Amino acid sequence: MTETRQLVHRVIIRATIQQVWDALTTQGQVLPHFFGSVMHTTGLKPGAQLRMRTPNGKYTGVVGEILECNPPYRFSHTFRFTNLNDPPCKVTYELKEVEGGVEFTLISDAVPCGTKTEGQMAQGGNFITSVLKSVVETGRPSFGYRLLLLMIRIFPSPAACKSENWPLDKPV
Amino acid sequence: MDAVFDALSHQARRKILDIVQTMPGCSVADVVKYFDDISRIAVMKHVDVLVAAELLISSKIGRRRELFFNAVPIQMIYDRWTTEYSRFWASRALDLKYMIEQQNQKTQKADP
Repeated sequence: MTETRQLVHRVIIRATIQQVWDALTTQGQVLPHFFGSVMHTTGLKPGAQLRMRTPNGKYTGVVGEILECNPPYRFSHTFRFTNLNDPPCKVTYELKEVEGGVEFTLISDAVPCGTKTEGQMAQGGNFITSVLKSVVETGRPSFGYRLLLLMIRIFPSPAACKSENWPLDKPV
Repeated sequence: MDAVFDALSHQARRKILDIVQTMPGCSVADVVKYFDDISRIAVMKHVDVLVAAELLISSKIGRRRELFFNAVPIQMIYDRWTTEYSRFWASRALDLKYMIEQQNQKTQKADP
């Protein structure tokens, strides 16, 4: 069995809990905090399928199944990169009202050690947390990330990421 | 941000971050094992400073307290002073530094 680990990213966001929840769970709209992807689901409920697709819908970067959805406090789903052959891990977003805003925690569980997935979850966790904070607080990502997001869009995606391989009605 | 810099200003606390980063979910007792020069109480105090600065996240699972490294405060420092442009050249400059220093180390080993 592969050894796994848990990674945690946390930040305080100066906003209401509902604002953070909405930014996190919006569908059919580009999510800057999720690398400019659009979230598609078969419903925000346990057992529903989840796909993170490019804005034109052609490519799917991340697939998963929703495990828990308790608005506006907790959202959890399995998580697998379509371009990697690593086993799925689990991500949980926890929102908690604290003085001065919302404590946002991203927990990545069962991350397989020493894999590309591990590197991407560590880096990606920083990205998601930082960008979500600036989007909710200021309406857009900070300058450096806006450039990065433009660059991601130009990058070609491998054939394994084609959305026809990852239909919503076929559970992962 | 003051809390983050204060927390990072102590060598023992930076070492604690190194330890927790390589062993996510470890306990304070696990961390203590890496120190023979300071007491358990002192390590616990350092951990508290790191938790207050959000560089460490402490989560209670039953009676056990698990520690996780949180990179986000450091990412925020990075974001504040770097742009896409400076990020590129700073990392090139660092690559060069690491490469040359590594070569020097190899030569030193070969020729003691």
